[in-house]
Amino acid sequence: MISESMVDLSRLQFAMTALYHFLFVPLTLGLSFILAIMESAYVMTGKQVYQDMVKFWGKLFGINFALGVTTGLTMEFQFGTNWAYYSHYVGDIFGAPLAIEGLMAFFLESTFIGLFFFGWDRLTRIQHMIVTWLVALGSNLSALWILIANGWMQNPVGAEFNYNTMRMEMTSFVEVLFNPVAQVKFVHTVSAGYVTGAMFVLGISSYYLLKKRDLPFARRSFAIASSFGLAAILSVILLGDESGYEIGDVQKTKLAAIEAEWETHPAPAAFTLFGLPNEETMETDYAIRIPWVLGLIATRSTDEQVVGIKDLLVEHEERVRNGMGAYDLFTQLKAGDESPATMAAFDEVKDDLGYGLLLKKYTPDVIDATEDQIKSAARDTIPGVAPMFFTFRIMVAIGFTMFLLVALAFWHSARQTIDKQTWLQKALLWAIPLPFLACEMGWFVAEYGRQPWSIGEVLPTHLSTSTRSVEELWMSIAGFVLFYTALLVAEVYLMFKFARLGPSALHTGRYHFEKEASHSMTGGTTAGPKAQPLQARNEQA
Amino acid sequence: MDYEVLKLVWWVLIGVLLVGFAVTDGFDMGVGALLRIIGRTDTERRVMLNTIGPHWDGNQVWFITAGGAIFAAWPVVYAVAFSGFYWAMLLVLFAMFFRPVGFEYRAKVDDPRWRSLWDWGLTIGGAVPALVFGVAFGNLILGVPFSLDEFMRSTYTGSFWALLNPFGLVAGLVSLGMLMMHGGTWLQMRTDGALHERARRITVALAVLVAALFALAGVWIWMGIDGYVIMDIKSTAAAVTPLDKVVTTQEGAWLSNYGQHPWMMIAPLLGFAGLALTVLMSMMNRGVMAFVSSSLAITGIILTAGFSLFPFIMPSSLEPSHSLTVWDVVSSEMTLNIMFWVAMVFVPIVLSYTIWGYYKMWGRLTNQFIEDNKYSTY
Amino acid sequence: MWYFAWILGVLLACSFGLINAMWLEFYEDMDRDAE
Ligand code: HDD
Ligand code: HEM
Ligand code: HEM
Repeated sequence: MISESMVDLSRLQFAMTALYHFLFVPLTLGLSFILAIMESAYVMTGKQVYQDMVKFWGKLFGINFALGVTTGLTMEFQFGTNWAYYSHYVGDIFGAPLAIEGLMAFFLESTFIGLFFFGWDRLTRIQHMIVTWLVALGSNLSALWILIANGWMQNPVGAEFNYNTMRMEMTSFVEVLFNPVAQVKFVHTVSAGYVTGAMFVLGISSYYLLKKRDLPFARRSFAIASSFGLAAILSVILLGDESGYEIGDVQKTKLAAIEAEWETHPAPAAFTLFGLPNEETMETDYAIRIPWVLGLIATRSTDEQVVGIKDLLVEHEERVRNGMGAYDLFTQLKAGDESPATMAAFDEVKDDLGYGLLLKKYTPDVIDATEDQIKSAARDTIPGVAPMFFTFRIMVAIGFTMFLLVALAFWHSARQTIDKQTWLQKALLWAIPLPFLACEMGWFVAEYGRQPWSIGEVLPTHLSTSTRSVEELWMSIAGFVLFYTALLVAEVYLMFKFARLGPSALHTGRYHFEKEASHSMTGGTTAGPKAQPLQARNEQA
Repeated sequence: MDYEVLKLVWWVLIGVLLVGFAVTDGFDMGVGALLRIIGRTDTERRVMLNTIGPHWDGNQVWFITAGGAIFAAWPVVYAVAFSGFYWAMLLVLFAMFFRPVGFEYRAKVDDPRWRSLWDWGLTIGGAVPALVFGVAFGNLILGVPFSLDEFMRSTYTGSFWALLNPFGLVAGLVSLGMLMMHGGTWLQMRTDGALHERARRITVALAVLVAALFALAGVWIWMGIDGYVIMDIKSTAAAVTPLDKVVTTQEGAWLSNYGQHPWMMIAPLLGFAGLALTVLMSMMNRGVMAFVSSSLAITGIILTAGFSLFPFIMPSSLEPSHSLTVWDVVSSEMTLNIMFWVAMVFVPIVLSYTIWGYYKMWGRLTNQFIEDNKYSTY
Repeated sequence: MWYFAWILGVLLACSFGLINAMWLEFYEDMDRDAE
């Protein structure tokens, strides 16, 4: 039997490992394009500094990428190890994008990343540049396919329940592919990645500007990151809004929770800027509201309503009751009564079967559920409002903060007044964690807001797990915590080490620390910046 | 193509992915396992790592894609096997954690303790998965204690330690030995000097050992392990679940395919011939040929396991009738069809740029090269 | 069609980054010393 705590632990483990994976993913997505831009600049100008930029930021990229791959492996196998029933129930649809991701994206990204690091002397300039672009394309395609998979969990289109095989089966691949939720999710998420890459380069370049080291290198990196970042942050905000519109369309409960909309207000609804949602009283205390705005965001109109939580509860209770009927018919079909009448009746209500399955948490037979149990099941369909409300607001606040920072960065870079803006440099340096935080918050909103479903309105989370024991889950969680902490320590150590070193880490002899060294070696007289120590010559050999 | 043919095609395709994994990722796991055995100095170990530096990640994707393809084409196997073999899977996963970081981080700090730490990591990352995969295959042949309920939820009653039975361990050693041998042939092609000589010698030793263990496993299956037979199945052409058939165990049943389809004997023969050629070519110092031979040997050995089990994938020792077979674990016809075309388009593309990548990075690496490029290599 | 928008958008953002860098390269002195 699957215990409640077993489900909670499986969720904890998944949330932990997924959020951890997504610490590294956005940087890969963004930095890969920034590297490609830098290398294109190298090919166009032939200036050595651009190649050094690719190599140096490439080093940091590699340090991050290694952990992206490591933690991604976990994700690929965890559906089978910990969500076995889920894998059986939806593998027919969900497995496909995962397999395509491997064939189309991971192979591309991983094969060319090898050539990116090791191919400098073996490929022509143009070939190497193409390789870099292909790495970027590969990582973004991987995001595409995994988000198609994830979008389908949020909004399961193009599939139908088959009671013979006891699972969902695909009816239209095209619908799965062009799922509107997947589309907005993809563009919002990859743009968030681009912002992350840009903020990372801006922050570390600012550090060199602050230290007055390797200025030509830092200014150029800064210029590229600020312009690419500006485009990216604009699209994150725009597409975040589009995400809001899309979930207003297909995930009304999630929207209501994000906005703490307890009641259905007359259109157009007001937007709650801030407040303290109270789950007990179903009210938001101390709310500061801006009239009209929510209605505009969520419905793009002034006359459509945004349904509130209390009304959704009523609606869901109805669907749970329908679901009991559906489950009843389903058991008759399973028992062999496949008369056309039963099949037609089942087809009629099978969209509510998922709601019926919610009752399995309370009674294995579903059809004998009591009034109280039905009420509890309906109540379960509303995710925690306060966590949704706050995490969403943190993400948005960070979004606007970063917009400000990047816009200023772009302005000063374009005017070439950036060298003097020490406060902006400091702000950018300290802002490096912001995009990572926003990404984690975003996933929290998206995934926690999907609860109690693992597949929206189809499969409840509490049915999705594998049959393992609580002790085993604790042990594997402990294993992950141990490994992931150790790996993170190594990663952060190397990141700091190399970011501090800056381009001197390339040992070309052209940058700060080595110039210093060669100055002191020769008594600081003759060796100017042009002098090349031994390593540099070796590297060209 | 009708559904029945598609089911068979997917058995072949998953086989191709598994062989692809063993032949590509296999040699870099082998190199990892050999790292501390034949790499005596830091520079020698770096030579070894840099021969696979540009390729290990692409190779590893064979493994990931095989996992994804099992999810898409055989969702029932993905669910039952991965959750049943929970600890074995996690062990593989934890061991594989060491690889990406090991390669990437090892050379970034010039400190003997740091490097030795990652050397151990890379050894584990190479040896443990190789061993566990073999153990898992061995246990498939023995049958695995799981059952399904009417909703297709699986329950597994075995423990991790029960996997480590004598036959499972022999199968594990075959797998570990063959991937290490494969790594040895790779190093013969890509290194020179003392390292090259050591790689040659160890390849020969390993190939002989693998041949002996492979023969032992064969005799064991013949004399001491009952196979499974489908007595009755609702349909092989329609959509069925693992609950729609009757299965019993029978002495010698794992060899019956070879009686019915003698051409299948090609698999074990290929295995032994490949091993013999690997020995021969290594002794003659023909690295490329040794690598080809060892690839053939691996293909033969994996096919032997697949052919013996066919049409079973994961027999159940608890409820033989719940065994998973190629007929009843598959996705819907639509999904199999779509995924088939996806594979037809992308596998050739992947193969062509992979080959281009190897071609571009070809050549022997020397200690001198590492000394000269110590900041830009692994 | 957000996928299509993405293709255009990425190309645009990358060209924007590149063009900005080229423009600064040719009209400003990026190699000047600290001010
Ligand atoms: C929005 C993007 C995104 C999301 C939501 C996920 N991933 Fe991821 N994944 C990537 C974007 C990415 C990437 C950018 O392509 C990575 C990150 C760093 C890297 O090396 O590639 C990657 C690496 C990566 C790898 C290693 C690939 C390799 O060896 O090159 C695997 C197996 C997975 N992921 C699997 C998953 C699974 C099963 C996920 C879902 C639960 C998942 N990822 C979520
Ligand atoms: C890498 C980015 C992702 C992050 C950070 C993330 C985050 C989360 C979080 C926080 C949870 C826990 C929710 C809860 O239990 O309260 C969760 C659950 C889950 N997510 Fe995601 N998610 C990510 C991507 C995905 C993708 C792409 C998929 C599917 C392809 C997915 C599938 C799941 C599943 C199966 C669960 C467990 C069942 C559940 O609790 O609903 N996640 N994820
Ligand atoms: C400023 C305005 C922003 C708005 C209006 C916004 C809106 C949203 C919404 C509504 C979701 C939930 C989508 C769902 O549940 O399906 C979401 C998810 C997400 N957000 Fe944002 N967001 C903004 C900024 C950001 C920023 C700055 C980042 C990171 C740099 C970010 C990263 C994410 C991520 C990674 C997800 C999860 C993936 C997804 O569901 O798309 N967002 N965002």
